Amino acid sequence: MDYQMVPSICPYCGVGCGVLLEVIDGKLAGTLPLKTHPNNEGKLCIKGWNLHEHVVSDNRLLFPLVKEEGRFREVAWDEAIEISAKRLKAIIEEFGPDSVGVLTSAKMTNEANYLIQKFSRAAIGTNNVDHCARL
Amino acid sequence: MNMMHEIVKEWLEQEKIDLFIGYKVVDGHPLPCFFTRENIDDVDNLVESKARYPLEKIAAKVYSTHPEMKIGILARDCNQRALNVLYVWNQLDPEKIETVGINCCPSPAREHADCSYLEREPSGPLKTLIGIENNLKPEQAEVYSQEERFKRWSYEFEKCIKCYGCRNICPVCFCKECSLEHSDLIKKGELPVEIPIFHLVRAVHMAGRCIDCGLCEDACPANIPLRLLYREVNQITARLFDYRAGTDSGQSPFSILGENVTLEPMSL
Repeated sequence: MDYQMVPSICPYCGVGCGVLLEVIDGKLAGTLPLKTHPNNEGKLCIKGWNLHEHVVSDNRLLFPLVKEEGRFREVAWDEAIEISAKRLKAIIEEFGPDSVGVLTSAKMTNEANYLIQKFSRAAIGTNNVDHCARL
Repeated sequence: MNMMHEIVKEWLEQEKIDLFIGYKVVDGHPLPCFFTRENIDDVDNLVESKARYPLEKIAAKVYSTHPEMKIGILARDCNQRALNVLYVWNQLDPEKIETVGINCCPSPAREHADCSYLEREPSGPLKTLIGIENNLKPEQAEVYSQEERFKRWSYEFEKCIKCYGCRNICPVCFCKECSLEHSDLIKKGELPVEIPIFHLVRAVHMAGRCIDCGLCEDACPANIPLRLLYREVNQITARLFDYRAGTDSGQSPFSILGENVTLEPMSL
């Protein structure tokens, strides 16, 4: 059997607690607080303790879905991006850029968050940007 | 190479054990690590580690899926007590476990200690004034009047963020169904938790079970004096039933798994 403890950072909020991901035979099986991490000193909140669950969850979205006539259809990434771009463009043309808001995520990296705010300001033309850590 | 490395290598080579659970420093953090025969040179990286993790809980996880495996484990006194509890509750087979004892809590026989619990700082002025100082002994916490004690403990319990960390880290918490997740006992999604029921449910379950390792208190983001609380319930168990978890053989008097349920206190 293979057992590994992989140190990582909790992606949920801005605190950045150290976590230990328990990997048994290549599968994510549990989360422990990283005791020697300076941010959380071996403590976690309930979201951090259950970090592994959203990775292995049955409800996790693994591919893009498009809703057509009330039903979801699995599509390729290119098609999904094309549909989103067309709809966004149409909305911006009809109602103006401030009719669009962008919600980013604490679960993404700093770089990804930078990109999405740049996208909303430069491509869409709005400063309606917010983030789940401000909720 | 020190003596600990030699022993572990020898055990692995002689097939006395199939894997050894200890600590290894990765990126500056001592982490629980498995050492195996296939990777025997890695044993040189085995360290004692000041940070403690519930290694016996990891061993129980291995045992549940690979019961044939012989496991070696780095054991402080608290790990050893936790192992004893897991043995009597059939979560681990003592025949399959070998321990390497290491220096731990101080005692008259042992002045030097490596235990992380010793570094706990005294509580701040507010907590000392209206809460419960974590470093108190059970008898010291009993000097307050009933009313004041309830007030002080309520202050501590109110801080709970319901992270379940105390249960999750606990080496002797292994029930498949936990009362703390039972919707009839504990309401879902409500904070603060119902006081004092939430903590007392856990405290009652810790009676005759808790081995006083202090991992729960280490993991508590609200710094609730859990160790003191469980010490208190264990003292009652010792006084009434003459049972000490982790050192006495046999299951605790609160076992309701057996065919005959007897909750007879010892004669006073």
